[in-house]
Amino acid sequence: MTPSLESGRSFPLATQSRPGRLSARTCALVRQRARSPSSSVSLSRALVSGAVRGTMNIAKQVAGGALRFRAYATAAYVPPASLEGMQRARPPPSKPKPESPSFYTGRANYFDQLLALEKAAKQTRTALQELQILPLPRFAQQNLPPSPGYRRFIGQLNQLNEYRRLAEVAGHMELAGRIQRVLDMFERENKDAILAQGKRKPVKFDEFGRSYTIGRRKESTARVWVIKAKEAASSSTAAAGQGEAQPSQDAPAVGIPGFTRGPLSMAPTPIKVPTTNILVNNIPLVEYFPHLSDRERIVRPFRIAGLLGAYNVFALVRGGGSTGQSGALALGIAKALAAHVPEVEPLLRKAKMLKRDPRMVERKKTGRAKSRKAYTWVKR
Amino acid sequence: MSLVIALRTGRVAHSNSSSLVAPAGSVIQARGYAAPVKAAKKVSSKFRPNAGKENDKKNRGGRDPGLFRPMPPNALTHPVFQSEYRSELKLPVYRPETLTSSAAAKALAFPRDDSRALKAFGLPTNILVDYLLLSTPCSVVRQVTVDVLDQLDKAAQSSSQNTRLVFTGQPGCGKSYLMLQAVQYAIQKEWLTLYIPRGINLVNSSTPYAYDARTQTYGQPAYAQQLLKRFADVNAALLQSLTVQSSYPFDEREVQNGAPIMDLINVGVEFQHQAPTVLNALFDELAKQTKYPVLLAVDDFQALYCMSQYRDPFYRAIKAYHLMLPRALLEFASGKRKFARGAFLGALSSQNTTFRAPLELIESLGLPPNGPTNPYVPRQPELIEYAKGLKNFVVPERLTVDEAASIFELWQQSKALHFPRGDELFLSKYTEASGNAREFVEKGLLQTVAM
Repeated sequence: MTPSLESGRSFPLATQSRPGRLSARTCALVRQRARSPSSSVSLSRALVSGAVRGTMNIAKQVAGGALRFRAYATAAYVPPASLEGMQRARPPPSKPKPESPSFYTGRANYFDQLLALEKAAKQTRTALQELQILPLPRFAQQNLPPSPGYRRFIGQLNQLNEYRRLAEVAGHMELAGRIQRVLDMFERENKDAILAQGKRKPVKFDEFGRSYTIGRRKESTARVWVIKAKEAASSSTAAAGQGEAQPSQDAPAVGIPGFTRGPLSMAPTPIKVPTTNILVNNIPLVEYFPHLSDRERIVRPFRIAGLLGAYNVFALVRGGGSTGQSGALALGIAKALAAHVPEVEPLLRKAKMLKRDPRMVERKKTGRAKSRKAYTWVKR
Repeated sequence: MSLVIALRTGRVAHSNSSSLVAPAGSVIQARGYAAPVKAAKKVSSKFRPNAGKENDKKNRGGRDPGLFRPMPPNALTHPVFQSEYRSELKLPVYRPETLTSSAAAKALAFPRDDSRALKAFGLPTNILVDYLLLSTPCSVVRQVTVDVLDQLDKAAQSSSQNTRLVFTGQPGCGKSYLMLQAVQYAIQKEWLTLYIPRGINLVNSSTPYAYDARTQTYGQPAYAQQLLKRFADVNAALLQSLTVQSSYPFDEREVQNGAPIMDLINVGVEFQHQAPTVLNALFDELAKQTKYPVLLAVDDFQALYCMSQYRDPFYRAIKAYHLMLPRALLEFASGKRKFARGAFLGALSSQNTTFRAPLELIESLGLPPNGPTNPYVPRQPELIEYAKGLKNFVVPERLTVDEAASIFELWQQSKALHFPRGDELFLSKYTEASGNAREFVEKGLLQTVAM
């Protein structure tokens, strides 16, 4: 950029071979200045500067190749006519400014509101101090009207609750029920949800009576659906007649001779034993777990609960290896059985089947070959 | 030597002759069936490898007894065995009259005296191991057994082309046992029965082989001789009444038209190099006769469709259908040759992964292929021909609870289990095995440590 004359610096003028033709830009500048009601001084200055600039331009043009060798360090000269169609390099897209100054805290909303609240509290404090309400003298504090609290109310309800417990323990259920009805008037609607907040969520059953539980062991997760196995119908239909001939046997089945009444006089009915089918990732258990120890681990909850043959299992298992997957599946099945048959829960709990095995693979440490194994000790 | 290793190594003698032309005056030694075991002859050689050879000879123990055979109960005379805790399995006998639907889920013992088929033909390895632990050969009759026997009854009157069954199903579902039951039934019903319990021994290069220029195929003289002996032994009574319907002029002896069929068989038994030809001739004769129905049963049936482990003089693998006996079996299986009365039974086996059922056989039986296939996968036209018309007989993959209970009772009575009988244990083992027979017995009952 050519410095203007107004800056007061002098610079050598190149010798003029012919009167310089004013460049188009200078002409336009002059026209603009002429239109505006500017002082003649500025106009003249502009003219001069424009002329000088034009002269400078011409000088450069005349010098041509000599000056292109960059006798002085400036940006390369490009004729203005070429600049018209040029696509300027777009400036890098500026990052959008974050809306709030607390953007980089990660919880902008929270901190914004917190800061606003703190600001409001500060302002309120200042205002109250100006009004000389804060700090309140002791006589004023003591004579403040009481806030509409519920302490007395809650005290009374607690007392009623105590009486209800007494009545329940003593066995007077009717009295306890009446007290409960009074207390229920003051209970929240979502009382059960609030009471169960910290506790384990109960297992839900869907419309077909299937439970859905999750078991985990090491790195494996098992999602287990357990449904009651269908009882075979033969035992109910065949119990009707006495001495009914069974077509599949050689001789007609009869009751024990000598008994005319009672169950021993009736023909024995063939019992259809229901079986537990276990599908893991849609593959039968025996195909998915080739090792017997894994299979025994999975069937163990059924054995302890005594529910072999009562329920069918479908499971999706993912992650880990065979031991982890079988342990996860066993835990999922145990939880499901405890949900289907609550009487069985103490048995499974005693057998530690409802406990998630907390053991995980221990990390490797620096300075050790593995988590515990040390490198060979060298004396020197 | 462990029992299972002995069975797996499958000790079979290799006879001296390796060509169809027999050396003059040589006696064929066949181990395992006819002749007693003899110590190997030491051949002297100039090569002396180690210095301490004499010491090793002294330290070496007794001769390896090979296959373990239990002593018969009559031979157990020592007082240790005279105890009331010893018990023999007392089971009803497997007879055609008792084999109806009412016998389903019942354990029946195979008759030991009447037919020597079990000892003569041999058994598949897994069944043999079971019978070494149980005191008597037996099996549980299932509903599928009754179905198969019904089919055999129907097939007795028609040609074998109409009844060519192949037992398929999940590994361990009971195909070999089913085949054994069918073979026993056929023998008792006076069928001429030829049972090959280990089809893999036909193609795994365990017996000598020799090229026959006349038929342009490879014969297995030792195996053929053994097979003729076994067939003759099991069907001796029925073969007395059969005669040959054409003449066979062998070099050593000529068998005239109308001669008893045993003469033909004896040629093969006496002259090992003629055994493959005699066997083929026997097949022809059995195909023509209509007096008795013929059952041809092959376990490990898929091995006949694989490449054998024999090599030709150019060290190329020989295809199974270029061996005389497998070729004959394939021809009967595909219906190219047929018995006037009878049936063909085959059973697939997945135990040996060297001989897996090829794609042509799988497609012919309508089974799901092992991996992704498309029409551009090459299929051998010969194998497609040999697999035509085979009927897939699917053996159910689960035992019913009653059948499993009978098996459990069987093992309990033979006092082979270390835990007491109980419903809960039985049902837990059944659940773990998902009803699979082999997993139930092998892993659930015999390998478990759970009480």
